[in-house]
Amino acid sequence: MTQQAPPEARTTTAGVLAVAGLRKRFGDRVAVDDVSFAVAAGETYGLLGPNGAGKTTTIRLVCGLLRADAGHVEVSGTSVSPVSTAGRGLIGYVPQDVALYPDLTARENLAFFGRLYRLRGRLLKTRVDEVLELVGLADRAKEKVESFSGGMRRRLNIGAGLLHRPTLLVLDEPTVGVDPQSRHAIMESVRRFGADGMAVLYTTHDMTEAERLCDRVGIIDRGRLVAEGTRRELVARLGERDRITLAATGDLAAFAALCQDLPGIDGADVTGSEVHLIGHDGRKLLPALLGAAERAGAVVRSAEVTEPDLEAVFLHLTGTALRD
Amino acid sequence: MRAAFVIAAKDLRQRARDRSAWLLGFVAPVAIAGLISFAFGGTETFHTDVAVVDQDHGVLAQAFTGFLNSPELAAVLTVSPVADPADARARVDRGDFGAAIVIPAGFSAAAHGGPVHPLTVVTTVDSQLAGQVTRSVAGSFTAQLDADRLAVATAIAAGAPPDGLAARAAALRLPEQVVRTPSGTRTITGVGYYGPAMGMFFTFFAIGFTARGYFLEQRDGTLDRIAVAPVGPLAVLAGKSLATFAYSAASLGTVSLITSLVFGADWGPPAAVAVLVAAVALSVVCLTAFVIAVSRTERQADELSAILAFGLVLLGGNFVFLGAAPEFLRVLALGTPNGWALRAFTDLAGGAGGTAVVVPVLAILAFCAVLTTIAGLLHRRAVRR
Repeated sequence: MTQQAPPEARTTTAGVLAVAGLRKRFGDRVAVDDVSFAVAAGETYGLLGPNGAGKTTTIRLVCGLLRADAGHVEVSGTSVSPVSTAGRGLIGYVPQDVALYPDLTARENLAFFGRLYRLRGRLLKTRVDEVLELVGLADRAKEKVESFSGGMRRRLNIGAGLLHRPTLLVLDEPTVGVDPQSRHAIMESVRRFGADGMAVLYTTHDMTEAERLCDRVGIIDRGRLVAEGTRRELVARLGERDRITLAATGDLAAFAALCQDLPGIDGADVTGSEVHLIGHDGRKLLPALLGAAERAGAVVRSAEVTEPDLEAVFLHLTGTALRD
Repeated sequence: MRAAFVIAAKDLRQRARDRSAWLLGFVAPVAIAGLISFAFGGTETFHTDVAVVDQDHGVLAQAFTGFLNSPELAAVLTVSPVADPADARARVDRGDFGAAIVIPAGFSAAAHGGPVHPLTVVTTVDSQLAGQVTRSVAGSFTAQLDADRLAVATAIAAGAPPDGLAARAAALRLPEQVVRTPSGTRTITGVGYYGPAMGMFFTFFAIGFTARGYFLEQRDGTLDRIAVAPVGPLAVLAGKSLATFAYSAASLGTVSLITSLVFGADWGPPAAVAVLVAAVALSVVCLTAFVIAVSRTERQADELSAILAFGLVLLGGNFVFLGAAPEFLRVLALGTPNGWALRAFTDLAGGAGGTAVVVPVLAILAFCAVLTTIAGLLHRRAVRR
């Protein structure tokens, strides 16, 4: 497994996916409302939102599985819609549920989907072998999928979307219901696809996944894209501050009062044996805080700096927790 | 089109691994047609033993006994004299005879103006066919006798000399006779009828297989996965139709082949049979499309398939020989593709030429056109929603 640079350090090049003004209504309910975003080659874009926010509908519109009421989807400059096959060959789709045939073997499943993407003969065999190797199932190629564990099925499910080496890989919550080991393997694979230059559109309601994997995140709620950007950009936009928790002994009230007067500290509070502080760039404040403890006659036993996360951003933007 | 073949090949591969598909498509129809063949074996050469109790011993009684023993009836009846009516009844009850005829004393005298003493036919519920045949034979003799008497009486009343009238009247036969012949020249055997009937019945199970498979794929997301691939919008429909057609045709074709080779069924000219098999397979495809268009869930598809399959085979005559069914049932059968197909299969098995399938095939195609139109309209409405 190659070492990856942190998401925010990765560079993006040419645009692959362009979504503009996408709208979809089911009866009276607006599932997707004027959603626009773009994903560049080598970029992993996360659509973050709770269940029912409109992530899957957006994905289905992007893949041409649904007809949009308004708006436009282009992959590498080619329009995508249910009535046209143009552009669909550029997309690799990994649905939320395991969409494989349990009564066929791993190889037969991959060969079937490969043939649909017009792969034939030796090329098909080579690609199937490559994908089986990639998802770690080469030694189980001749076994029926029904005999696989949940994690193995998930990996093969992703593999089936990679056979034709798509320009855009679309993954709809691929780690739902997956054990930690398989989850880790899937996330590592997704990182690798981005590093290989593939544009990745990844939906999740898991903030940790979005933070670890995605170069940019779009926060979607009630069908609307309420914010997008890198994690740092989103957090900075909200002006969120770090929380610093110091476990200490001694005169904690005096210690808190001294901290309060330090530049960069916006608030201080004592709860039991802990002093809770709010400030900007908490890590840089630590030496000054330790000095204040010494002056107050307190001894700091541990320090913890909590940076603002996407959960907080989401809460701020939508007024609801991500898992609601 | 290539994608359709890829999808069809995948579907057939899955079906080949499904034991129930083998059982319902190939094993069961052949087994049941075989069982029916054994059960109905020899019905085309009906024969029964008949006891005759002659209490008359007159001229007419001798003539009647001679009639029963005539070469024309030898293939159908074997006549044995029995002295006592009670003994004859007991032996019919025991099954020694299919039926018994009692010629009462005074039977001959009745022809000369004496009191009427009718023939008695003793039958049992266990041998209804033998009873019917025996009654029919006895009835034809008495009808001929009455006709002769009427002719003589009419001639004398008109002033004809009585000399020689008896001899002339004896030479007379009923002027009109109903002769029933099939459209062909061969006799239809049990397996000849029930082979195609059971073959079609079990072929209809393919409707449920395919419709259920479609909804399973929809639920599992594999249909979506196929739809994202660069395949035409009709590829899935065409692929699944191809697979259903191939399975249905293979099933019915195999039943035809095995019942011919193993049970000696004669299905008729192979080319005409092949056309009919293809038409039946096409009707299965269209029925499947209809079920998928009407249903919303796997369970609905299952239930509708079962209702359609059993409804069609009941109306179409797959369980009951339509030739012996009431008129309205025969008319109803013509509203079903299997009813038309069975009619054509029967004609072919009876020795009719290949052209006998033209009208039935056209009727099946019309049925398919109607179903496909309904399915298409329902599908379009669903897509618009």
